[in-house]
Formats: sequence, structure tokens, C-alpha cells
Amino acid sequence: MKPTAMIALALTLVLDAGAANAQAQPDRFDKPAALGVARIRYMVTDIQGSVAFYAGKLGFKLVAQSGPFFALLTRGDVQLLLSPVKGPGGASQPMPNGQRPAPGGWNRIVLYVPDLQAEVDRLRSQGVHFRNGIVHGLGGNEILLEDPSGNPVELFQPG
Amino acid sequence: MSESHVNLRYMVSDVQQSVDWYVGHLGFSVQLNGAPAFAAVERHPLRLLLSGRTASAGRPMPDGRQPEPGGWNRFQFVVEDIAAEVERLRGEGVTFRNEIVVGPGGSQILAEDPSGNLVEIFQPAVAFAPAR
Repeated sequence: MKPTAMIALALTLVLDAGAANAQAQPDRFDKPAALGVARIRYMVTDIQGSVAFYAGKLGFKLVAQSGPFFALLTRGDVQLLLSPVKGPGGASQPMPNGQRPAPGGWNRIVLYVPDLQAEVDRLRSQGVHFRNGIVHGLGGNEILLEDPSGNPVELFQPG
Repeated sequence: MSESHVNLRYMVSDVQQSVDWYVGHLGFSVQLNGAPAFAAVERHPLRLLLSGRTASAGRPMPDGRQPEPGGWNRFQFVVEDIAAEVERLRGEGVTFRNEIVVGPGGSQILAEDPSGNLVEIFQPAVAFAPAR
């Protein structure tokens, strides 16, 4: 199958899954609300390495992959779309001014964990890189780890 | 904050302005407003945590790096008619980083919130089944 066909198939699977959980919300935004899942897209430098990281270390499940061009993973209600910085996908295209999408930044998925210290110890022993140490905030404790492309993921323990 | 939501944190330059933007343009509802430090807005199942500089998430890293808005990672706002949605948002003064891009999986365009964070407006190539 061509990459484009693979991506279309992957999306079909995902969207069907979303529709099964859909609940009608009769407001002017009712169309977007029909999809009962939250889809988050990260830009990555390497799809295969990223899939191995999210599946192997953070408990995501691989739902669909189109070789080096696209991958879709889930963890609970989260759907994580991974797009490479170059490829045929819409998210991989440069901006009109030539600017190219890149990994990194500070916006991130927040994953709840029951025991933050234990989780940090486990991940550190597996070689995962953290941007900071555990921060004690008003709502709980948090820390930022980095995926292989340098994208942040926040681990959060409420309380 | 519970685990029944999908939580995504965006760094923002002005929490109240961001709350107004997500509520006014994308139909989020305010769950908690602790402006100017922090707010949580929700559009089930997504909970968007908006953190300003004075929030715990706004503290600098040990190496001195300061968290800031921007970048390319984003959530998708799935619509059935992207052209109509873009027209509506443009009419409301929303700015976009690009034009509509047609990819294998669907059409997308990148809207920018007031801090320069992205929201991907996405219309799937394959229509999903209507809600029951």
C-alpha cells in the first residue's frame, strides 16, 4: 500500500473509533464535538525512534503507522499523532514564508502518574532525559521529560 | 483535576486574554480561572491548561531556560467544513500561520492563539460517522 493510502486507512480507523464514543452537543460547535477523543500532534525528527519511545517507556499503544511519514498512538483517551519534519503529510509541509515545522517548544501533554518519584526513577534508569527536577506547584508536583526529538512531556501527580 | 480528561498544557503570555480567545472562538468553557497565573478551559474530553509566567509551570529550568509560548506541537480541532470554519474564524479576527493544506489524511490549517500557540483546524478526508 502507498503511504498516502496507509494514512487514509489509519485515519478511518481512528475516526470510526472516535465516532463510537461521540456525544451530541447541540451548539454552534457541534461538529467538532462529535469526535470524542483528543488528538494532539507532535512534530518529530524520526518516527520509528519516537514510536519506540512512547510505546516502550510511556505506555502508549501503536494504532497505525505509515513508515517514516506518520504514526498514531493512544494512551487512554489521548491520541498522539506523530509527524516528521519532512514528508508527504500535510503537517510536514513548510509555511508560505518558508518556515519549517520543528519539534520542541514548551507546550505538552500532561500525563497523570500516581507516584511521580517512582516514575521518574524508573524512567531515569532507562536513560530518559529530564529538563528539570520535580517542581512543587499549587495543584501538585510536576516534571518535564523529553522525547528523542526534544519534545516535552509533563508527568504530573496531583495533591 | 481528574484523569477523565486529556490534559494539554500551553504556555501563554496573558492568561485572561487566552481564556477569552478559547472560549470566544473555539467554544471552550472555563473550568478554573486563576488569572493572571493559570486557567483551565475545557472542551470535553480535552482540558487545556493555560499557564502564565507566574504559574509553577512558568518557572525557569535549572539551566536558566524560560518556558515560553509557541512551537509547533498542538491539538486538533476537528471540523466537517474547514473552509467555512476558517471563514468564520477570519471574520472574528483570528490569524493563521498558513493556508489550508491538503494532505493524504485530510485538510488542515494552523490558527494562532494570542500568544502564538497553534491550534490545528482539521477536516478529515474520510468523514466520520455522525454522532448518535
